[in-house]
Amino acid sequence: MRRYARLYWHFLLQRFKILLEYRMNFVIGAGSTVLLQAAGLLAVWSVMRQIPDLNGWTFDEILLVYGLITLSKSINHMFADNLWIFGRAYIRTGGFDRFLVRPINPLFHLLADRFCHDGIGNFVVGIALVLKASLALHIAWTPINIAYCLVAVVSGGVIFIALNLLTAVSAFWIIDSIPVTSAIFQTHEFAKYPLTIYSRGIGIVMTWLIPYGFASFYPAAHLLGRPIGVLAWLGPLIAVALITLAYRIWLWGLSHYSSTGS
Amino acid sequence: MTLALRRKGRLYRSIAVMTFKQYLAYNLWFWVQLLGQILMMTVFVFFWRAVYAGRGTVGGLEQQQTITYILLAQMIAPLVQWGQILPMGDLVREGMIAIELTRPVDLQERFYIETLSSLGYSLLQQVLTVGLFARFVFHLQLPSDPAIWAAFGLTLLLGNAILFCFDWMFACLAFYSTEVWGLHVVREGTVMFFSGALVPLVMLPGWLQSVASWMPFSQALYTPVALLSGIIPAAQAPQVWLVQLAWLAALAVGSRVVFRLAVRKVTVQGG
Amino acid sequence: MPTIELSHVSKVYRTIKKDSGLRGAVKALFRPHYVEKVAVHDLSFHVDAGEVVGYIGVNGAGKSTTIKMLTGILHPSGGSIRVLGRDPHRERVANAREIGVVFGQRTQLWWDLALRESLNLIANIYELEPARYRQLLAEFAQTLELEELLSVPIRSMSLGQKMRAELAATFLHQPRVVYLDEPTIGLDVMVKERIRAFIRDQNQRNGTTVMLTTHDLDDIEQLCQRVIIIDAGSVVYDGPLSTIKQRFGTFRSIAFETAHPLEIEHLILPLGTAIASHGERALEVRFDRTVTSASQVATALMPQIEAIDFSLAEPDLESIIKQIYAGTHTAALREEVLV
Repeated sequence: MRRYARLYWHFLLQRFKILLEYRMNFVIGAGSTVLLQAAGLLAVWSVMRQIPDLNGWTFDEILLVYGLITLSKSINHMFADNLWIFGRAYIRTGGFDRFLVRPINPLFHLLADRFCHDGIGNFVVGIALVLKASLALHIAWTPINIAYCLVAVVSGGVIFIALNLLTAVSAFWIIDSIPVTSAIFQTHEFAKYPLTIYSRGIGIVMTWLIPYGFASFYPAAHLLGRPIGVLAWLGPLIAVALITLAYRIWLWGLSHYSSTGS
Repeated sequence: MTLALRRKGRLYRSIAVMTFKQYLAYNLWFWVQLLGQILMMTVFVFFWRAVYAGRGTVGGLEQQQTITYILLAQMIAPLVQWGQILPMGDLVREGMIAIELTRPVDLQERFYIETLSSLGYSLLQQVLTVGLFARFVFHLQLPSDPAIWAAFGLTLLLGNAILFCFDWMFACLAFYSTEVWGLHVVREGTVMFFSGALVPLVMLPGWLQSVASWMPFSQALYTPVALLSGIIPAAQAPQVWLVQLAWLAALAVGSRVVFRLAVRKVTVQGG
Repeated sequence: MPTIELSHVSKVYRTIKKDSGLRGAVKALFRPHYVEKVAVHDLSFHVDAGEVVGYIGVNGAGKSTTIKMLTGILHPSGGSIRVLGRDPHRERVANAREIGVVFGQRTQLWWDLALRESLNLIANIYELEPARYRQLLAEFAQTLELEELLSVPIRSMSLGQKMRAELAATFLHQPRVVYLDEPTIGLDVMVKERIRAFIRDQNQRNGTTVMLTTHDLDDIEQLCQRVIIIDAGSVVYDGPLSTIKQRFGTFRSIAFETAHPLEIEHLILPLGTAIASHGERALEVRFDRTVTSASQVATALMPQIEAIDFSLAEPDLESIIKQIYAGTHTAALREEVLV
C-alpha cells in the first residue's frame, strides 16, 4: 500500500512536469471544464431567479446538490480519466501489454499513467459551489459535517470510478468502450438536481441501480437536515460494494484478455 | 457552365453519401447518443415541470410553450454542438491540411456541404427517433400551419450557415494551438448556453439577453425553435430573415479572411 | 534447471466471427459463431541460463504469441511454460521483476518525459536501490552514449536514439531474462553495432539470458550461438547457426532484368541452379556456389535471355528461412545439385 502511494506520487510528479511544459494546454484544459459548468449553472440560475423554489428546494440548496456531484465527478475526472480511453489508447495500441510485464498492478498502472488536469477545473467549481451554498444556507462546518462531506464526496467519486471501470471492462471484448461507458455515465445528469423532482422509477434507478444519487442528492439532503433515514449513511457502503464488484469484473475481463490477447 | 454545375453536383452528392455512410458505421455510438439525448430530454422535462408546479407563467411563458420549446431545442442541440475545430485539428495535426489545400475543391465549401448534408440527415434522424419519443412520451405539440414550417425551415438553414461561418473562424484556432479539445469544450459551453439550448433566451435577465443578441449562436437554435413553438410570432419572420442575412454576410466574409490568414501561417512555417 | 522451458505448448485463439453491421453484431451476441485459430502448436524447447538464442520465423509464424506467453501476458491453451522455475502467467508479477522486454517499435518510455525522468519512473516501478540505480545509469549513459539524451523527451528522439534509450530502460532493473523483438529494425549500421555490443556485454558480464527475434542475419551472426526457427506454430529447426549456414548459406542468387518477355519453359539452366522466381521481364536464379559460380551461371544464361541488367545477392535470413520452410523443394534442389 505504501509502495503504491509512493509510486503514485512519482507518477503525479512527472505528470505535472509535462503539464508545466504545456502551460497553455493546462490552462485551457482546466478552464474549459469551468466554462462548461458555468453554462449549466447560469441556465439554472436564470430559471431559479424567477421562482422561489424547485419542488421545495431553493437555488442555494440546488447549488449544494450540484456542487457535491461536481466534486465527486472531479475525483473520477482527475484520477480515473484513463478508463475512458483504455480501449482506444491502451488495448488497441498494445500499450496495455507493457503494463502486464511490469511488477505492479495493471489497473493501478493504468490509472496512475495519466492524472487528468481537466478535472481540476471541476474540482475548483465543486468546492466553490459547496462553499457558496453552505454560507448561504448557514450549514455549520463542524468537524462532523466536514467529515461527513469528505466521506460523501470520496464515496461519490468511488461510485463514479466504479461505474466507469465496470463499463471500461467491455474494452477487453469490443476495444472501443467509450460508448458503453458514456451510456451509463450520462445518467449522472439526473443527479444534478434533487431526485424528488423525477418520477419514482427514476428515483429508484438513481438510488439502487446506477447509484449516482449517493454522490449528490442524499448527502445534500442530510446536510440540510431533511429526513431521509438510513439513505444518509449508505453511500460509503454502496461505494465499497460497487468498486469491489467492478474490480472482480475487471479481473474477469483481464483473464479473458490473457486467453485471447484481445 | 451546365457541365461544371453537373460535375459539382456529382461531387457534392458523393460527399453527402459518404457522410451518411460514416454515420451508419458508428452503430453503437448512434444508440448511445440517442440514449443520452432521451436522458437529457427527460431530465429537462421533469425539471421544467417542477419549475411550473402550481405556477401559471414563468418568465412570461406558459408551461406548454416552454416544454415544447425545450423538447425542440433538445432535438436541434446536436446540430449546433460539434462545430468544426475537432476535424480541423485533426487535419492540422496530421499535416493533412497542406494536401487538402492542393485539392481542386475549396476546403471551406467542402466542409459546408458536409455540414449541410449532416444537417439534413441528423434532422431526419432526430425527427424519427427523439422526435417520436418526445411526441409519444412527452406529448410534444407542433403547429399545423405549413407556412410556419416553411419559415422554420428557412430560418434553420440560414442559422446553420451563420453558425458554420462562425465555426470556420473558430476552427482556425487549430492552426495556433494544439489543445483543440479544450477549445472545443469552451465553444460547446458558450454555444449551448447562448444558442438557447438550455433555457429559452427570453427567460434570461435583460443583460444576458443583450449579450446573447450580440452573438450569432441564437440564430442557429433559438430563433428557429422559437418560431416553431410560437414564442416568436410567424408575422415577424421577414425581420428575422433580414437580421440573419446581415449576420451571414458579415461572417461569410470574416471566415474567408480569417482562414486565409491562418493558412498563410502554415505555408510560412512549412506545415 | 533450464531458464526457459516450454513443453508441448499450444495456443488456440477462439474468436467470434461477426457479420458486419448491427444485425451481425446482434446475431453474434445471441448465436456466436466461433472460429478457432491455432497460433502455436506442440511447441517445445528450452533455453539455458546465459544463452543468447535467435527466435526466427516469418510474420504470423507464432513468434509474438510465444513471447507474450513467456512474459505472462497470455496463458497457453495447453502444455506448460516455466521461466526461472515459475509459471509466468500465474506468477506474473514475480516473473515481471526478473524479465525485460523490448516490444519492437512500441516504446515503454513516456512520450513527453525527458529520458532521465522516464528512467527514474522505471527505477521506482522496479524498486531499484537509489545507489545502484545511479551507478547503472552512469554506466548505461556511457556504454549506450546517452549522456546528451538524458534531458531530451522521447518524442524528439530519432529512431536509433529511441532504441538506445529503450535498451537502457529494459536492462535497468538487471533482469535475468530479456526478450528482444526486432531491436535493430530500421536502424543504421553504426547504431546496430552499438546495440549489439551492448547486448553482448550485458550477456557476458551478467549472464543475462536473451531471446531475440529479428529479420537481420547480422544480428543473429553476431549475437546468437543458437537459433530456433518456427513455422506455423511449431519448431522446424533448433540448433547452432553454423549448421544452417553450412546447409543453406552456400546459395547465391542472380537477378536478371530482360529486354524482351521471357519464355521460361525454353530456358536451359546450368547444373546446380534453379529458378527462384520470375516475372514477365525478370528472372531470379539461385545457385550453389560450391558447384558453380556467378560468372558460369551468367555466361550460360545471358545468350538465352538478352539481359539489360543483372545483380548478385547474398542470401539473407529471410530467404534461408523460406528455403527451410519449403523443405521438399529444398531437398529436391540439393539432390539436383549433388547429382
